[in-house]
Amino acid sequence: MALASLPHLSGMKKNDSRFNPYDDNGGSIVAIGGDNYLLIASDTRLSTGYSIYTRNQSKLFQVSNKSIVGCSGCWCDTLTLTRLINARMQMYLHEHNKEMSTPALAQMISTMLYYKRFFPYYVSVVMGGLEPDGSGWVYSYDPIGNLERSKFHAGGSSGALLQPLLDNQVGLKNIQNIVEESITLEKASRIVQDVFISAAERDIYTGDEIHIMCITADGIKEEKVDLRKD
Amino acid sequence: MSILAYNGGAVVAMKGKNCVAIASDKRFGIQAQTLSVNFEKVFEMSPHLYVGLPGLATDTQTVHQRLKFRQNLYELKEGRRMSPKAFSAMLSNLLYERRFGPYFVEPIVAGLDQNYEPYINAMDLIGCITQPDDFVVSGTCASQLYGMCEVLWEPNLEPDDLFETISQALVNACDRDAVSGWGAVVHIIEKDKVTIKHVKTRMD
Amino acid sequence: MFLTRSEYDRGVNTFSPEGRLFQIEYAIEAIKLGSTAIGICTSEGVVLAVEKRITSSLMEATTKEKIVEVDKHIGCAVSGLMADSRTMVDRARVECQNHWFTYDERITVESCAQAVSNLAIQFGDSDDDGAAMSRPFGVAILFAGCDEKGPQLYHMDPSGTSFQYDAKAIGSGSEGAQQSLQESFNKSMTLNEAITSVLTILKQVMEEKLSANNVEVVTVTPDKLFHMFTKEELDKALENVTPLLRDEAEPSTSSR
Repeated sequence: MALASLPHLSGMKKNDSRFNPYDDNGGSIVAIGGDNYLLIASDTRLSTGYSIYTRNQSKLFQVSNKSIVGCSGCWCDTLTLTRLINARMQMYLHEHNKEMSTPALAQMISTMLYYKRFFPYYVSVVMGGLEPDGSGWVYSYDPIGNLERSKFHAGGSSGALLQPLLDNQVGLKNIQNIVEESITLEKASRIVQDVFISAAERDIYTGDEIHIMCITADGIKEEKVDLRKD
Repeated sequence: MSILAYNGGAVVAMKGKNCVAIASDKRFGIQAQTLSVNFEKVFEMSPHLYVGLPGLATDTQTVHQRLKFRQNLYELKEGRRMSPKAFSAMLSNLLYERRFGPYFVEPIVAGLDQNYEPYINAMDLIGCITQPDDFVVSGTCASQLYGMCEVLWEPNLEPDDLFETISQALVNACDRDAVSGWGAVVHIIEKDKVTIKHVKTRMD
Repeated sequence: MFLTRSEYDRGVNTFSPEGRLFQIEYAIEAIKLGSTAIGICTSEGVVLAVEKRITSSLMEATTKEKIVEVDKHIGCAVSGLMADSRTMVDRARVECQNHWFTYDERITVESCAQAVSNLAIQFGDSDDDGAAMSRPFGVAILFAGCDEKGPQLYHMDPSGTSFQYDAKAIGSGSEGAQQSLQESFNKSMTLNEAITSVLTILKQVMEEKLSANNVEVVTVTPDKLFHMFTKEELDKALENVTPLLRDEAEPSTSSR
């Protein structure tokens, strides 16, 4: 069997002069922030090309009691980045005698990504957390650290499919004659499940299960919901 | 960048209950620069037959004209209207003739057939047809449209609901695409009437 | 102490057999030659005041800066070798900006003081190019600032030790001033009372006559943050001081 036909070894082909350090392992993240909660969800499929590594790998990482990082793209970069974030959180705790706030974490992730401006982490990061006033906010990044603070975001392989849906259903864009109000946790949870089900219909890199995490003042709740597995 | 995305634009079609809808944006631009905001990409080929031709604008026009040319010959020769199925086969053929130097359009056909049954299909730029029974999308914001349609569409929508669904799908998808939008037009095709509605969208 | 001078008082890297680092102790002595600086922390904010020794009438008094802004919310009063203080203040400023850059938030006063402490004990270390700081810094610093924990005052000495204080004096008049602070400070003090208090104490320990020309006053409050008193504000603040000065006020306990 030719080495080139094994996707995971294709970067090491004999007559391939350059090693390609990046792979795209897919996966999608959706996060919605409300007045008193933060909902973040990822699928649990890890794949490369047409093959699936595992159907049971969440892409959410709890880094403190009030913030969760969602990270998809090149899985090895995800692992490295999230471990570094955890280490930096710990160092901050020791240096400043307090837990890092969500806005501080948001800025730190941005600088960590930009630090590798010319050999970036190949990841799409969506971070969500409760801020000191108790409200939920979502921070999203490009691979080199551009930071956007918003109430909802969809990232990863299904980002393009899901973002306009969130604009419409959560941001209430292009809807006339309605009063803009922030959505409830129940509605957010329902929307998140709906959008993942549709992403799984059309995106082969998204599927298997949804891992949903919800931060409120009472703590963090987790839930898993089945998606199509083909 | 793909030549298919040089001018930008999107088309979507959906089946409803005894009706179909087909909609397109109205932007015409060259890459990031918008040149016109009344460039419709959906054409009436006969009272119950519409075709959308998103892609390279020059090919949109050429393919439209060549289609009309062949359709006229067919109708003169046969003395009857073209069915959506025959029309699609002809279009597919026209595209495949240019297999190795294709027209850069990814067409969508929507209409009612001889029995007034809803008919939609989509094809790639060399004429490979897919014929789903819910909706078809094409253009630079196809992935955004997939996401929207997958959630909003449901079976047996009445014409009014179908209009609302297809408009929301198109407008919200275009808002997340830099090279589509700047107004939209929706055609609702029923047995005894075709309703054309122009939808206002954000212009940025 | 000076009688026990031995070989151990030269190297900064060598403990004496009694477990002392003489150079640090000498550096602490150097502070006692510096001008007096006093800080009081109240619930409304922190006030810092220093005396400026005008050694010549030809000297431009305003160029002597003993209280400096480190960040919008932190100010420093220094006493001792001014040249050394520049290095430390520069480090404090860099640390503040670095924290803001990385975390998009203001550094805490404690962390700022801690960061400067880290620099203070790096004497004797050599860095990559082999250069080393040959001796401890001859500077004591009062850090005044406001963060999420409210107004705070920290003191740091040449050994790099830093502690939080309600009220602290450094420099030549520090012994007498600290004694007076002990008596006049109370937890429910207002900021204005504190300003009057620091100026009164400063007046007691200064050799020269207290005036708007030879004193610097800074407040750090939660809303105005770092604020250096203008000439007018100083004159106004000094009005409150004069009546308190009694005839018996003998020129301070200061040793020089």
